[in-house]
Amino acid sequence: MKKKYLYIISIGLLSVSSCQKDKLTPASQTSIVSDDQYLPFTTADRIKAQVYGLYSNLRSGNLYGGRYQVYNDVKADNWLNSTANSVTAYQTWSETAQSTSSEVLSLWSQAYFVINNANLFIDGMVAKGNSVVSAATSANYIAEAKFARAISYYALVEMYCKPYGPDAGASPGLPLRITGNNVYANYDLAPASVSKIYDQILADLNAAETGLPIAYYTTSANTTLDATANTTRAHRNTAIAFKTRVYLSMQKYAETITEANKIVSASAPFTATTGVPFALQSSIANVFKTPYTTTESIFSAPFLSTETAGTQSALGDYFNGTGSLEFYLNPAGVLADAGWKATDVRRSSFVITKSTGRSYINKFPLTPYTDWAPVMRYSEVLLNLAEARVRTTNLVDPQAVALLNAVRNRADASTTYTVASFATSAALLTAILQERNIEFLGEGLKWNDLWRLNLPIPGKTAPTGNIPQINPTDAPYIWPMSGNEQQYNKLIGR
Amino acid sequence: MKKNLLNFLFVLLLLGSKAYAQSKTITGTVTGKDDGMPLPGVTVAVAGTKVGTVTNANGVYTIKTSEGPQVLTFSYVGYLSKTLTVAGTKLDAVLEANTKALNEVLVVGYGTQTKKESVGSISQIKGTDLVDQPVQNFEQALAGKASGVQITIPNGVLNTPPVFHIRGTNSISLSSQPLIVVDGVVSYSGDFSGGESGGNALSNINPEDIETIDILKDASATAIYGSRGANGVVVITTKKGKKGTSTVSIDSWMGFTKVIRLPKVLDAYQYVALKNEALVNAGSYNTTVTAPQTIPLAYTLVDKDAAGNDINTDWTKLVYRTGNSYNTNVSVSGGSEKTSYYASGNYTKQQGVIKKNDFISKSMLFNVDHKANKYLAYGAKLNYADQMNLAATSSGSLAGEAYATAGLGRVALLLPPNLPVYLNDGNYNSSTSGIGIVNNKGYSISYPNPQVALDLDRANNEINHTAANVYLVVTPLPWITLKSQYGLDYIYTTNDTFFNPVNNTTASATDNYSQNKRWDWVNTAQFDQKFSKHSFSLLIGNEQQRSTNYGFGLARSVLSDPGFNQIQAGFTTNGTSGLSIGENYLVSVFGRLNYNFDQKYFISATLRRDGYSGFGLNNKYGNFPGIGIGWELAKEKFWSGIKADKIFSSFKLKGSYGKTGNNNIGDFQSISFYSSGVFNTNPTLGPNTTGNPNLAWETSQKYDAGFDFGILNDRITGSLGWYKNDVTGLLFSVPSAPSAGLASSPLVNIGSLYNKGYEFNLDAEVIRKGSFRWNANFNISYNENRITSLPGGQPITYSTSSLEITNINRVGGAVGDLYIIKSAGIDPNNGRRIFINGKGVPIEYTFTGTQHYYNMDGSPYLKADGITPNTINQGDDAIDYGNSVPKWIGGFSNTFHYKSFDLSTTLTFQAGFKLYYGTGATLTDQRFWNNTTDILNHWTTPGQVAAYPKVVFGDNVSNGTSYPTDFNTYSGNFLKVKTLNIGYTLPKLLLNKAGISNLRFYVTGYNLFVFTHYPGSDPEVGSNGTSNSSQGVDRNTAANGRTFTAGVSVKF
Repeated sequence: MKKKYLYIISIGLLSVSSCQKDKLTPASQTSIVSDDQYLPFTTADRIKAQVYGLYSNLRSGNLYGGRYQVYNDVKADNWLNSTANSVTAYQTWSETAQSTSSEVLSLWSQAYFVINNANLFIDGMVAKGNSVVSAATSANYIAEAKFARAISYYALVEMYCKPYGPDAGASPGLPLRITGNNVYANYDLAPASVSKIYDQILADLNAAETGLPIAYYTTSANTTLDATANTTRAHRNTAIAFKTRVYLSMQKYAETITEANKIVSASAPFTATTGVPFALQSSIANVFKTPYTTTESIFSAPFLSTETAGTQSALGDYFNGTGSLEFYLNPAGVLADAGWKATDVRRSSFVITKSTGRSYINKFPLTPYTDWAPVMRYSEVLLNLAEARVRTTNLVDPQAVALLNAVRNRADASTTYTVASFATSAALLTAILQERNIEFLGEGLKWNDLWRLNLPIPGKTAPTGNIPQINPTDAPYIWPMSGNEQQYNKLIGR
Repeated sequence: MKKNLLNFLFVLLLLGSKAYAQSKTITGTVTGKDDGMPLPGVTVAVAGTKVGTVTNANGVYTIKTSEGPQVLTFSYVGYLSKTLTVAGTKLDAVLEANTKALNEVLVVGYGTQTKKESVGSISQIKGTDLVDQPVQNFEQALAGKASGVQITIPNGVLNTPPVFHIRGTNSISLSSQPLIVVDGVVSYSGDFSGGESGGNALSNINPEDIETIDILKDASATAIYGSRGANGVVVITTKKGKKGTSTVSIDSWMGFTKVIRLPKVLDAYQYVALKNEALVNAGSYNTTVTAPQTIPLAYTLVDKDAAGNDINTDWTKLVYRTGNSYNTNVSVSGGSEKTSYYASGNYTKQQGVIKKNDFISKSMLFNVDHKANKYLAYGAKLNYADQMNLAATSSGSLAGEAYATAGLGRVALLLPPNLPVYLNDGNYNSSTSGIGIVNNKGYSISYPNPQVALDLDRANNEINHTAANVYLVVTPLPWITLKSQYGLDYIYTTNDTFFNPVNNTTASATDNYSQNKRWDWVNTAQFDQKFSKHSFSLLIGNEQQRSTNYGFGLARSVLSDPGFNQIQAGFTTNGTSGLSIGENYLVSVFGRLNYNFDQKYFISATLRRDGYSGFGLNNKYGNFPGIGIGWELAKEKFWSGIKADKIFSSFKLKGSYGKTGNNNIGDFQSISFYSSGVFNTNPTLGPNTTGNPNLAWETSQKYDAGFDFGILNDRITGSLGWYKNDVTGLLFSVPSAPSAGLASSPLVNIGSLYNKGYEFNLDAEVIRKGSFRWNANFNISYNENRITSLPGGQPITYSTSSLEITNINRVGGAVGDLYIIKSAGIDPNNGRRIFINGKGVPIEYTFTGTQHYYNMDGSPYLKADGITPNTINQGDDAIDYGNSVPKWIGGFSNTFHYKSFDLSTTLTFQAGFKLYYGTGATLTDQRFWNNTTDILNHWTTPGQVAAYPKVVFGDNVSNGTSYPTDFNTYSGNFLKVKTLNIGYTLPKLLLNKAGISNLRFYVTGYNLFVFTHYPGSDPEVGSNGTSNSSQGVDRNTAANGRTFTAGVSVKF
């Protein structure tokens, strides 16, 4: 009798202590698990937050939040380096970037981080998210993800690949990844050709054009435009505008014109007549101050006092003459253009010369660094269209002159271009390119212009060294591929 | 329901007692043979009956038996049992102490075993060997006490957890510190201080309360701890009450600590002479003011203070002090036949050698055990400790602090002696940009005046540690023991940091609080049976352990009113600090079968199955088997046949094999996560960690073989063993192709290493003659550590405080080898340092000019292109300079008793390793930094053979500041007189009248002498804490101290 109870107690003791299986797979209370349950896609708020997350990663200092623009500017000829600091783009400036240089590693990994996040987002929407939000919202979000993916691939192809023009994109491109990765696995992948990368960029931008909303509104009745959203998120016209940049890079001028015409009216004042009404501001200075959300800013990376750009990523730190003064304007660069008058607002307002005799630009004056980083402005679309028209017609195209004049005359009222101003179409092209050089100083388009036209990078003379001219056939013309990619991707083939 | 059952059980058990008729009373006194003193608490039983009693405080017993001659058995813990026959009514007994070591009981996982029956490699250390030492935690007292156990105290900051390795470094990325089990509950271990003093979690255990420490080393002993056993297991048993009347013990000591072996630095006159010479050599010395000035002024001078005396500051006197220490321990213990108890309270206040570095601890322990009846026993333990780990500011000695500009150990040596602490107007000689250089010219100093931080800052930590358990033991049949124990281990830690506004641009305060809570529930069933010569013992059990962490805090800056310094005061900027949340859970089943035949052939097999929350979904459970066998040769007939019994009274061969794991991975590292952020004030969500669903424990396969022996009836016992730990599945954060876009590099089981070595241990009762006794222990261990594979086969380098790469892990090397550039002295012709480049070619360095490196023929050292200047740099020129973890470790302990005097001493030694004395580079750097007097032997004239190169102001390369060099690397071999304790016990006759049973006075010296060629303060040193891969680096570490104490211990 007694023993029986003892046994019961013993068995009871052992059995009450059986395992609490749920505790073996605990849930984090501060993060959301990413597995085949697609928990980040289970509520509309989480899905929306992921869309903002994509923009947040595009805004990274290593990408469109500053350094992409910095590399594009300093790789060309408008800036001289004074500190030889290798963590702040010295090697890109001196055309000595190695596969292990920090900029080469960081831009590569950040762009692919955005690409993978976009891929994961699109996969997750298909698997789960589409059943959580409405079809229209889903289409909107997926289009935004595709936009993010497209402009990330574009940043990569522009820094790491040969231009499309000479061989129609036959040169080696990048690993092309369009499905999401989120666990440890073998991710070896051979690179696709440059043309395949462009195919993907255009496919994404076309899909974005279809899926993106016409515009974002502050009210559900769609009456008041949401200027902030229209500047910081992609809408239909944003995708179209980027296509003009992409097609121009591919030297596909007819397509450039087709796209630009969707958002540029036939005659001055040039505006987008549907969707967000892109237009030049009467004063360019308005574009570079709060609230940074004019209809001229097609897409920008926003910063606030609580979300500042990192010290060594902010455009202001590099170019503004108030930061670490590591780069100053090359007196032999755009500054040497006699046609760029002292009264041009872009010179009188934006170029400052310090007592050291060195000049800087004043487009990003705020400290802490809260100036928004421009990614694309409407004046670029106008000049893209102008250039494409001249290159397709080989004439002193009147609309091209009108477009060029719209940009120049806005800042320099004393100069008015007419068809008579240009003897040849080549002269007009030169003027358009120089207009871009002036207009986008410090905004990251100069290298883009050299590269897409397969032009040499002019030599530079600076205290930290004399940099020879780099021709498109020279190895340093483009960045080498990320050393980490070469080390960890066995199929990369370099 | 369960309670009802229990109540019912009690009733049943009570009914089970039987009554006997008794008619005769026997009385007597039981004394010990050694000293003739009465023994209280001796169990006296009448053979063949259930009648029994215990002796009282005077050793007297009274027992009722039936008429006629009776056989009485006397038994007592620590004494040989005695059986005597009595015809009358009076019987005195004299018991002999059981000194045979092999009968000692070892505490093993979830049970106990006699040493004789054990087949595992287990070292036992008695609590009595750890007491009366001025330490903050018992780990510090363990050095040299057991073979295969490395204890290295990395700095002189109080209560820092030592490097505690059992049989080498068994991991690279994970912790390689052993599992600590206190009274059956796994304790938190490691550093829980967020301040600038150490905060060893284990300092809650008062060394005075420790009964035994059993260190489990091989697979046979550790496999039962499964996925936690890879680094060895330390099983601590606290004191419990003993049967008999109560004993009150009071032990109290006080003493002082003084800093030792500080480097001798230049005084102001020597400094000024040297630095001016260096300025002249640099071509920048200039004392003349001309207008308009073209060359900036550059010179140093010995200035006058307000009283008109020369300024000659000894910064070491400002930072170091003589620390006072005080410790009192009171305990009471006792017990009846049914209930025993032990309670103690401890207060200790110890001052470190660094000013404001204090350790103040209050701790209490209460243990109670009750045997309700033949079937049921239960008990409880409660241990609470409150520790203050105080410091004003960084000593520069804790992991990650080597280059802290405010590090006290560093500034004490580096600051120029010709600078004053206070300006002549009485203000601090300090500003937010560093100490002022008064009337010296030509340089500026960014290092702060330490007096300000010592006066105004604090970086304190308080730890509340509770360790408690309750247990119930049911013995339904004599051979079945069922036990359930539920234990807690809670650590609440609070950090309080304040930075003053004098040295910092804004005053700031950071306070945070973190709680770590663990419960542990173990249920076991043990079955012991004996059939003739076959003995079986089967244990099966289940364990669950759950740990949670929860932390939060405030970081506030820009003090609104400089009159305040508390976090609760007004600040204009508020942020967060120390946000943490985590949980993990371990559930296990385990079993062990011990079998022996005739105490001759032994086998012990264990198996554990662990499920752990931290493991990946595909690897949630692991199985960990272990087996050990033993053969007692001395029991074989042939043993006496070959006359081996004349020498060896016992000789046991043993061997074991098994698998254990290391599960010290983060709570959620196997899982991929999305986390939140913000974009233009909108919440964001995106991938931030990439998990690995296959994440598993690191596996340690342990092989062990050896023998235990006893000589002269076990008066000398010893063991010699060989072991090998093959560790596979070492975890690394493995990078993938960056184009995959993963959020982080997941942890993957990918590398391997092994440790193998020998251990020898000898315990001897050397002399036992009349009133003189001499006991000795000697142990020595040799360990070889080799990395056999790494991710991609690539070497991995490790830095000290992210600044200087000092260590390398490579296949074929040991974990944490030093990564050093070689040199070849000073060129007598020009006084330049000669380095050896990676190809073995000597290259000279000069600080002046734009071309710094030259070939020995005087031509510039150029790159392959023949144009670009080449340099000596670590990537191209450093070599694996050998192991930084000692190959040889050991200790030699002696205890002497002569009449009322006793003396004990412990020597420890470590050998076969290199130490990088980075402080040596600091001390010979030719910036404004002060230097050791060694620098006086520097090159000045052609042809001179000098120890140091020509001094050139600004030169931070020639003497090793820019990269680690062989001329700052030394053998770390040392022999230390760790402790010396001399005591005098008052004669008992005198005391008994006063009701005192024992009174002893003693003096102790701790960290007394060190014999070493190492020039730093202490060769037991490390700038990188307990990190596995960056051992053997001494960079700006504060010096250590030597302690003397005097104490008294009283027993009532």
